[in-house]
Amino acid sequence: MTSEGFKRHGSNSYVAEFAENEREILINLCEQIIELLAERVDHGHEDPLAAMVGITTHDSPPEDEVLHRLLPNAYQDQADSAEFRRYTESTLRNKKQAHAMAMRMYLKSAKDGTVDLDHDSANAWLGAINDMRLALGVRLNVQERSSDELELLAPDDPLRGVYIVYGWLGWLQEGLVAALMDEG
Amino acid sequence: MVKTDTHIEEQIRAIFSGDTPWVTIVWDDPVNLMTYVTYVLMELFGYSKEKAHELMMKVHTEGKAVVSTGSREEMEHDVARLHEYGLWATLQRGDQAL
Repeated sequence: MTSEGFKRHGSNSYVAEFAENEREILINLCEQIIELLAERVDHGHEDPLAAMVGITTHDSPPEDEVLHRLLPNAYQDQADSAEFRRYTESTLRNKKQAHAMAMRMYLKSAKDGTVDLDHDSANAWLGAINDMRLALGVRLNVQERSSDELELLAPDDPLRGVYIVYGWLGWLQEGLVAALMDEG
Repeated sequence: MVKTDTHIEEQIRAIFSGDTPWVTIVWDDPVNLMTYVTYVLMELFGYSKEKAHELMMKVHTEGKAVVSTGSREEMEHDVARLHEYGLWATLQRGDQAL
């Protein structure tokens, strides 16, 4: 990983340069998030009007652990949560997909590797990067494992690479947040 | 005549008039970075850096914190926005035990 991360340029410009392999990894992660969220779309909706206004047939949380973390319950009470999910889950899914799509668009058009974001697109990037970290975090089981444990993963452990990308995304996100909060 | 505690009177009035406040709670999560949580609270709620940092630290050290208070509809809106940015948030009636 060779990028130096995001730096603030002027009042509404956040710039980072990515190496080709970094750009490919990020585009790939954007696509995985977009596809994963698409798995949750209702097929053969019985009520087209309900579908049009964003009411879904989903009232139970996703069985997939990653999807569940991306689309969490809004209430601790199951019945309230189900009702809320029915009316809002498709909107949340669309917003998360839009974040990942915006990020992918910036990366795909950055032929020389330079990405220049304004405030709103920076927020979309932050949301998308965070979804990637949430997804990878479930795979790494960060709820149960300490960072010391993860640091000690053997070089040939397949999770080792996942952990490196997870850490790198955190570093990238942290840099973009710092650039956004930099008032100078 | 027994004089009731004014605090209780207020609560009873609130229950009958339907304006018991609801709260949005953010829960600690090992994935979300501290600076990111602070930034999201500033961005979504317009909190100062100091207030957002204080709430983030409460989430981090106590496992959860109330980040906003209002009507049920307002709290549903806040939770939806927090979910959009990947924070782990729920809403509940303000008089329920946290």
